[in-house]
Order: sequence, then structure tokens, then C-alpha cells
Amino acid sequence: MIESLHYLIGGFAVAGTPQNLLYCLGGAIVGTLIGVLPGIGPIAGIALLIPITFGLNATSALIMLAGIYYGAMYGGSTTSILMNVPGETASVITCIDGYRMAQQGRAGPALAIAAIGSFIGGTIAIFGLVLIAPPLAQAALVFGPAEFFSLMVFGFVVLSNVTGGSLIKNLMMTIVGLIIGTIGLDPVTGNERFTFGSAYLLGGIEFVAVAIGVFGIGEILSTAAKPAELLDQQVIVPRLRDLFPTRDDLKRSIGAILRGTGIGFAVGLIPGPAPVIATYASYMVEKRISKHPEEFGKGAIEGVAGPETANNAATQSAFIPLFVLGIPFGPVTAILLGALLIHGVTPGPLLIAESPQLFWAVVASMYIGNFILLLLNLPFVPLFAQILRVPKRILLPLIMLICITGMFSVNNSLPDIWTMLGFGVLGYILRGWAYEGAPLLLGLVLGPKLEVAFRQSVMISHGDLAFFVQRPVSLALLVVTAGFLLFPLAKRVVALLRRKPVAATVASTTAEKEHS
Amino acid sequence: MTGAIALFCFGAVTALLSLQYPLGSLRMPGSGFLPLALGVMLMGLAAAQSAQVRAARTTPAESGPAEPAKAGDDGRRVLFFMGAVAAATALLGPLGFVPMSFLLMLVLLRLMGERRWMACGLIALASSAASQLVFVIWLKIPLPGGIFGF
Repeated sequence: MIESLHYLIGGFAVAGTPQNLLYCLGGAIVGTLIGVLPGIGPIAGIALLIPITFGLNATSALIMLAGIYYGAMYGGSTTSILMNVPGETASVITCIDGYRMAQQGRAGPALAIAAIGSFIGGTIAIFGLVLIAPPLAQAALVFGPAEFFSLMVFGFVVLSNVTGGSLIKNLMMTIVGLIIGTIGLDPVTGNERFTFGSAYLLGGIEFVAVAIGVFGIGEILSTAAKPAELLDQQVIVPRLRDLFPTRDDLKRSIGAILRGTGIGFAVGLIPGPAPVIATYASYMVEKRISKHPEEFGKGAIEGVAGPETANNAATQSAFIPLFVLGIPFGPVTAILLGALLIHGVTPGPLLIAESPQLFWAVVASMYIGNFILLLLNLPFVPLFAQILRVPKRILLPLIMLICITGMFSVNNSLPDIWTMLGFGVLGYILRGWAYEGAPLLLGLVLGPKLEVAFRQSVMISHGDLAFFVQRPVSLALLVVTAGFLLFPLAKRVVALLRRKPVAATVASTTAEKEHS
Repeated sequence: MTGAIALFCFGAVTALLSLQYPLGSLRMPGSGFLPLALGVMLMGLAAAQSAQVRAARTTPAESGPAEPAKAGDDGRRVLFFMGAVAAATALLGPLGFVPMSFLLMLVLLRLMGERRWMACGLIALASSAASQLVFVIWLKIPLPGGIFGF
């Protein structure tokens, strides 16, 4: 603990240099804008901005990208409260009570509580990260390929379970991502696979192209497909002097903020779209324990305070599995893993020991970034609200142009733009079929790691698959994975069995009536 | 249902193509081992999904739109939107970034319902100039110059 604090102080020294402060501020502002603008979420946003970090060292680059991520989480609440349109998926829940508050002329307190809650949740979660990450990294040093393979399978299955929609569809998307990840050179033997003689495909499919395509272009096309009259919605612009919450608002919110912090932190440690799940869980808890549950959905401030705090706490704690295990548990951290690899940093159990300066500087920058966001969000809310007034008919072509230019910048490659457009069309079609993009992206990013871990494991065990269940950590992970796979199936079987006797009773009664 | 069929076909093609590569053994899996396994798994899941959709259609209690159609979506606009973007990408090399971005913005703004030509022209000009400033001059990204050199 003392050692961690010592390193953290060193981290503040690195993060506090004028250059890194500027990147932290830049990331926080750009992230907030990404969160504010509907149509470009943190996944496509971070992927688009990776090229901007190419000229930076790994520490500065990660400080900026992390700033964009939690900045987007802060900004997402603005559109939810002022327009009833979530800037990103983690802000969906905030629409329920946040927009109601805005309609009642209380947009200011809703935005202020969202910002205060996000700050408290984020800051406490970073403290949790400081406490948990180093001992977890020590424990993870004993992980071999079998444990990593089981951990990744666990991640895929849990993500497929909690992403929303059909489990089978999500599992299929994971497999599609894994298949796309096999394109290029075999990571073990170096043989070409599915390249069809193309030199472009030798390096595999560029994950940034997939991320911008599926999440950015797919969203643009879905929005462009909407009738013109549905494109733009009314924006409620609060005045600066109306931003301050009342004493009662603060009293009602403090419990929700603390509970949201705990829920968000815990959810961030498990696989899945952590900020999204955290907001739902926090809202449910607040509604259940509230003395006035009837106020929820009608403008209860706890319905804004809890979820907004939880999504920021989850955002911070989601960095723990990424840094400590090298395994991203969600699509945004998968993008960050890709960015880290581009910068020559391999996250995993050895990261803290081998690159303490990078790890602790990024952690320290999170504290600074959260403080910047608190200062930035409140006074600039009216400005962000004005940005929301830019009509979508202008915004969408602009975002499209940025996507094309941003994609080209990654490798200075025209074929990358075609790949992005191809995946954009795929993303649009998948939305129509109600298939999720997040499992596909995670499968693509983790595919090569999964293959290496599997092949190393079977080579070590001479082809004995029992190896995966002979190691305790791997066994535990596989048992939980099996539970996640079998539970929905068991639920369906029980539902079917319950329905059958009812159906049989109805049928026999009808037959008796007809007979009589 | 269409999605499940498409994914079944994708799984089948992956499995077939992976047979071109050495499969190896469980002791020493080859390059084709994982793609084959993934292709087969995808086919299995797609078949299960199809069966589920069929069962839901035949069970009145569970019937409903298994694959929700988006009411009121303008597919034609999406088609034109993507057509314009594809044409702009094809023209990026020969024409250069600034003319391409100007034309693309002009077409997309009109397509999205901005009726005033003057406004379209000004926004297109401003956005292509701003992109040139940010990406080429500030970030020093070598965007294609084309016939005009910018």
C-alpha cells in the first residue's frame, strides 16, 4: 500500500507535466464532445482519434485516450438530460428521470448532480484501482496459457450474456469476430490464412477500420435512414445560474452516489459493457430502496445521481482487467488494448512491474482528468447545449468526412477506408437484424491471443484437453462460463415444462366442453 | 432468419476454406484448426438460431417480429449516401483530398435535406478547408494531393 502511494506520487509528477496536463485536458474536452454528440460513441470516437496520438510517447497517448473515454462518459449525460437522446449507450437510463427533470425546468440540477456524481464515483473507483491492481497483477503472474484461454472464453460468454439481446446471436457475433481475427499470418506458424494472395490482408484486418465501420458508419447510416422530421429534436438550454442543486437535491443524491460508486466499481471488474450494466443495476437498486419509488420516471434526482455515478466508476474499474490481465472485458477497453499495442505497450501482469511510470502516470492522470471534467462540465454545459443545436443534416456529413480522414490517417492507406466502409455496411445490416457489434469487436481483438493461448496449452499438455480443467483457476473460470451458458437454457426448459401442463389442461377442458 | 442463414453460409465458407490449410492434430494444431472449429461452431449456432426463430413463429404465444423491421427507414437514402461515400473514396487518389471532401460534403448535405445551395457550398468549403488545416497542416498527415496537388 505504502509502495503504491509512493509510485502514485511519482505518477502525479509525470502526469502533472505541462505537456501531459495538456493531453489530459485535450482528451477530456474531446471525450466530452464525443459523449455530447449523438451518433459518435466512445468506441468509434477513440478509434478515430488513435492516429492523433501517433506522434506522442505511450504515456501521453494513453493519458489522452483514457481522458477521451471517461470524458465521453461525462458528456453522454448532457444529451440524455437536455434532448432525451443518449449520447452513448451508458446514458440511456439517465434519459428517464434526467429529461423529466429538464422538462420541469430542473435541467441545471440534473446536469450538476450528474457531474458531481461522476466525479465522486470516478475518483473513488481510481482509488480502488490503486488498491486492487498491484496485488491482482502479482496473483496473475501464475497464469499460464490455459488460464488465459479460459479467462478469454469466460469473457466472451459473459459479454454475450449481458450485452443484451439474444445469447445465441451474441455468441455468433463473437465467433464472426474470431474468424475475422484469423485473417492474415498465423500467429504461431507464420503461414498465410484467408489472404487470397493480397498483400493488404497479410497484416490482418485493421481493428480500427472495424470499430469505426461497425460503430461509427453503422450509426451514421442508421441515423441517415430516419425520416428527415425525426432527425432533429428540441434542446433545452439551461442557464448557468440555474445549475446549482438545492440542499434537498444534494441530501437525496448523496446515498445514490455512494451506492452507484460501489455498484459501478464491482461491475467494471466483470466482462461486459460495464458502464451500461452499471447504470441499469444502479437505477434498479435506487428504485427498489427508495422511500418514493413512484417518483422514478417522473424526475427523481436519485435516478440521475446513481446511474451517472455508476457508469463513471465502472469506466475506471474496467481499466483493472485491461492493465493487470491484458484482457479487455468490453469493446472500449478492447480498442484501448489495440491502441496500447500500436504504441508498443503490452498490458498484462508484468505491466506494473516493467512499466511503472506509464501505469502510475495514467492512474494519476485519471484523478486530474476527473477534476478537470468537473470544472469543465458545469460552466460549459450551456456551450455544449448549443453544439447540440447543430442540425443532424449538417452533423452527419461532417462526421462521415472525419471518419474517412481519420481512417486514412491510421496507416495512410486507401484500402483501409474501403475496409471501414465495408464494415460500416455490415454494421448497418447487423443493426437491422438486431445483432450486436460489441462481441464482434472483442472477438476480433482477442482472436489472435485466444488462438495462441489454446495452441500453447494443447502443445504443453500433448493434446490432452483435460489440462484446462486440471488447473484450479482455469477450472473455476470454465465452471462459471458453463453456468452462464446453461442458465438461460435451463430457464427456457423450465418455462416450456411449466407451459406444457397449462396447455394440456386448457386443451382437455376445451375437448370436454366440445364433447358435452 | 435471414441473418442466421447468412451467418450459416459464412460459417460454411470459413470451414471449407480452412480445409486448404494444415489442420494438424490436437497435439499440434495447424493453421486451419481454429478456423475450421469456428466455422463449424458458427454453423451450429446459426442452425440453432434458425430453429429458434421457426419455433417462435409456430408458437402463437411467442410469435412476433423476430427480426424487427425499422418502420419508416429510408433505405434509398442510405444507398445514395453510401454510393456518394464510395465514389468519393474512389476519387480521393486521383482528385486529391480538398476537392474530394468539398464534393462529398456538398452531395451529402443535399442528400440529408439541406435545400439551400449557398449554405451547402459554404459549409462544404469551410469543412474541407478546416480538414486540410487540421489533418494536413497541423497533424502532418500525407493525404492524397491528386491532380491539383492538395
